[in-house]
Amino acid sequence: MFGEQQRFMLFLIAPAALLMLLFQVLPIVIGANASFRDWALYNPKKIWVGFSHYYAVLSDPAFLYTVLPNTFLFMILSVAGALVAGLALALLLNRPFRGQKLVQTILLVPLMVAPVVAAIMIRWMFNDQFGIVNTVLEAIGLEGQPWLVQRWSAFGIILLTDIWLWTPWFTLLLLAGLQSLPKEPFEAAAIDGTTTWRVFRFLTLPMLRPVIVVCVVIRAIDAFRTFDIVWTLTGGGPGRSTELFSLYAYVHAFLNLDLGRGSAAAIIGGLIILVIGVVLYRLVDRIAKA
Amino acid sequence: MPIVTRPDFLPGLPKWSRKTLFALALFGICFAFAFPVLWLILTSLRPESGVYYVHRGTEFTLASFAEVLTDDRIVSAFLNSALISTLATIFSLLVTVSSGYMLSRFTGPASRIWFGTIYVFRCIPYISWVLPLYFVTQSWGLYDTYTGLLLPHVAVHICFFSWLMKGFFDGIDPSMEYAAMIDGCTRWGAFIRVAIPSALPAISALAVLCWLFTWNEFLFALILTGNRVPMITVVMAQFVTEMGLRWNLMAATAVMALVPAFLVALFGQKYVIRGLRI
Repeated sequence: MFGEQQRFMLFLIAPAALLMLLFQVLPIVIGANASFRDWALYNPKKIWVGFSHYYAVLSDPAFLYTVLPNTFLFMILSVAGALVAGLALALLLNRPFRGQKLVQTILLVPLMVAPVVAAIMIRWMFNDQFGIVNTVLEAIGLEGQPWLVQRWSAFGIILLTDIWLWTPWFTLLLLAGLQSLPKEPFEAAAIDGTTTWRVFRFLTLPMLRPVIVVCVVIRAIDAFRTFDIVWTLTGGGPGRSTELFSLYAYVHAFLNLDLGRGSAAAIIGGLIILVIGVVLYRLVDRIAKA
Repeated sequence: MPIVTRPDFLPGLPKWSRKTLFALALFGICFAFAFPVLWLILTSLRPESGVYYVHRGTEFTLASFAEVLTDDRIVSAFLNSALISTLATIFSLLVTVSSGYMLSRFTGPASRIWFGTIYVFRCIPYISWVLPLYFVTQSWGLYDTYTGLLLPHVAVHICFFSWLMKGFFDGIDPSMEYAAMIDGCTRWGAFIRVAIPSALPAISALAVLCWLFTWNEFLFALILTGNRVPMITVVMAQFVTEMGLRWNLMAATAVMALVPAFLVALFGQKYVIRGLRI
């Protein structure tokens, strides 16, 4: 039926496709089914309720006015922060200096730290009674803050943890990108006596753009579904003020035991990020071709 | 002499102050990146009574580590995490290397459709399919078992790693494989004996990343396991809520969870950097 080449291609992707079918496609279909039913862990009847879970999620003020803005704000600030820091560090590491290898190894430390461990460390450092941050603040005469029980400071700490965790990822990929750039344009700029800023603005940045865009797209999609650091740092608190989208779905499904509504929230979030993902992909394609 | 002299750091200042400022900046950056980990290690070495005044004490002990290691749940969580990470790495590589090879070496509708599928599934947030996976694993009797955690982990790696693997194979000239096929090698022979050996640095990079991702993963372990297969990240997160006040034990567990990841990354770093550069 198939030619020899088609059979070869099929065999190459068959194991991956089978696993994805069983552990991604099938669960999504079952989740979609659950989102239309009154499916609670304590109520096994699973009555069909149509779109009422979707209506409940989309008319929930907590979802509309806290969770969604939080998620988007988190996504934008976390990606922007990690990109700027990662680019700066990649430029720094791209020039030779003594101890460069050591610095590079230290900068990659957060890459190895589990998000849960990072969240535990930060939570301990920002502990309101015994944390080092408040101790230092009090030592220099400032007032310590209950960091994790105020909305915006808690949000800021979550953001900071995320940027700390993901900056090395940007640094690594951008450094690899920097080192593969051709030398000639930079030599020409040096002969012309171009200033450092202009070299960065008109040479480095445009030539690095494809790498930057790919990094940003991957990271933005991942930031949208952040769960572990929020769960460990604040659990979505104080109140529900730092809840992100993944947490909202999890809380409804497993803490309120309403699997139908949790699934509906998960699907709404999935659709939102899918749209963003496709738009971003078009952008990558256009930039790669330009 | 090279034509390009690197632009100076803060031109206009005298040389010695430039050097000092540069060193200070470097030190500040390294400090910011390493401090949380150092602080955690320091906390883990403090005795129970001194843990709230980490900065003041001079007394150090390994007692917290000893106490953590007598806790069966934590020890088995470490073993489980190590086992799952290693198995997930092996299976993921088996599955993604061939899928990435297909994406790289073939163009045409089949390849484009497969790439599209991978990209779409990469975008879908974990919660959207791990949440219903909870019912699936339960109805298949896989909930809270090794298989029930291992296979979803392998599945989640497919998309990203196939994508990375495609990039690695794109950087390798296929003419060697064509030469091998002209000399009578089959397609499989060219793939296994020619393409895979030349992609080995990239494959090692992927192995390191895969091991780290699995070891650090939290959401899957939280939803798909219960008491029979505790994973280290879940145990630590429970620690925070249940034993929130015993920070020395918390820190000791976290430090032990860092060690394997550090070792893997330390020995794997050069492969990761080399692999990403291809």
